[in-house]
Amino acid sequence: MRDRKKSNVRVVPAILCLAVCAAGFVDGTRPPAPYRLDYPPGFGNRINIPANNPTTQAGVLVGRWLFYEKALSVNNRVSCGSCHVQEKAFSDGLAFSTGVGGTPVARNSMSLANLLWSRRFFWDGRAAGLEQQAVFPLTDPHEMGQSLAISARKISMMPRYALLFKQAYGDVRVTGERIVKAIAQFERTLISANSPYDRYLDGRYRPTAEEQKGLLLFNAAPEPTRAIRGANCARCHGGVKTYMELFHNNGLDSLPGDAGIEKLTGLPGDRGRFKAPTLRNIALTAPYMHDGRFNTLDEVLDHYSEHVKQSPSLSPVFRDASNEPAGRNLALRPEEKKQVIAFLHMLTDSTFTTDPRFSDPRTIPRKPKAAK
Amino acid sequence: MKKYFFALCLVFAGLANAVAQTTEKPASVKISGEATAPFELKYPEAGLLPHTTVIRKDRDGKDHRYGGIIVSDLLLKAGVTLGKDLKGENLTKYVMVEASDGYQVIFALAELDKEFTDRAIILADEMDGKPLPAGDGPFRIIVQDEKKPARCVKQVTGIRILFAR
Repeated sequence: MRDRKKSNVRVVPAILCLAVCAAGFVDGTRPPAPYRLDYPPGFGNRINIPANNPTTQAGVLVGRWLFYEKALSVNNRVSCGSCHVQEKAFSDGLAFSTGVGGTPVARNSMSLANLLWSRRFFWDGRAAGLEQQAVFPLTDPHEMGQSLAISARKISMMPRYALLFKQAYGDVRVTGERIVKAIAQFERTLISANSPYDRYLDGRYRPTAEEQKGLLLFNAAPEPTRAIRGANCARCHGGVKTYMELFHNNGLDSLPGDAGIEKLTGLPGDRGRFKAPTLRNIALTAPYMHDGRFNTLDEVLDHYSEHVKQSPSLSPVFRDASNEPAGRNLALRPEEKKQVIAFLHMLTDSTFTTDPRFSDPRTIPRKPKAAK
Repeated sequence: MKKYFFALCLVFAGLANAVAQTTEKPASVKISGEATAPFELKYPEAGLLPHTTVIRKDRDGKDHRYGGIIVSDLLLKAGVTLGKDLKGENLTKYVMVEASDGYQVIFALAELDKEFTDRAIILADEMDGKPLPAGDGPFRIIVQDEKKPARCVKQVTGIRILFAR
């Protein structure tokens, strides 16, 4: 297990100055340089960047400072980074995070990775862009609990931000809109594309026999009549990003306590329907599901294999997939579950979770560990 | 006392049920985008429009009789450029079909036009004379003779006509 003890944390204004000088132009007369978003060609270019918020080096830097800025909360104790911790692939290890009020939020904090390719945010997909998404946790009374107007006023009184905003926007004016745009820019840079799975796809990693079997099971749909065994994961988590922007009722409950998308649409077919999230870094983002009910990947695999609950809104993919003829559930063997989990561990990207570009800029970053 | 408590529970259960029923909306398909008369097709009303039958195999390997509305008829009703108007830049238009689970597929607009093809693509609301199964309907795209069923989108909620850029 990797040592996760934090290195000494020190305030380093010199680093900020250097970073600002490298990122943009102090006189604010020239537009900030674009931020280069690097990703493998296989990820595709169906990315989601609004025309009115291009990703720039200076904008990303502001966003990074703001992402870890506790002054954006009403009690100055909570930042985005409080519930989205880099070491945990920007999740927080809790079933439900607690915000400024100390009460648990309604749903599990989602991991933040490869949001550049997302078009619908939150477990119910209600936000159409990262800019819209960011407003909710910032202002929700159970999360950070502060209006954008007050946040803008507080940030404008903090000296370090004047130069950062001038670099990003051409003047020092701090507004709520600029705050959410900068945070969105930073979040778009959180690209996880250097896991053993990526290196395997690139011919630079040889999976173990267990991982290889897990990969085959992950991608295969079960066909017992043709003796094909499968875990059917790729139906909802397929493709190189393991994310397809699909929303399903995956049979957690026959009577869901949280109605999910039905709350938005009023359609009974949407009852208990939630996002099928990316599985990138999934081994780091426990507990699992929208309510964090499963503590381990073993519990998740047990659910999909044996415990899917029938209901009228259960998604079709869970109704008819079984490794047994006329079976009512997926019915994976114990060794097959272990193989799938071995493959899921291939999705852990240690360079992502230690990348100094994504860390709190108030700390001295550690050098990223060399990829195994 | 126990009797009154039971009666009270029944009243509350009835109220909760009534609230649930009033908040439930009928399923519909929104037809929008490059259309001069966009509209929303609601489930019960779809049955009043002329229907066509298409026979195709489903994942179970069996032939099924699907009844539904020809998609190009819906697009014509929405004022989409079909027939004599489907030429020039309009041939760069495509149709994005969206499902309630977020699934999306596209067809080139010309794939749907009767002057380009005899292949029927319907928005089905019946299978073998009955409403579609819960997980498939109430609306499903059925593409006649297409080998893979991947574009036979289940639980359709939207049909958007867009220009390719």
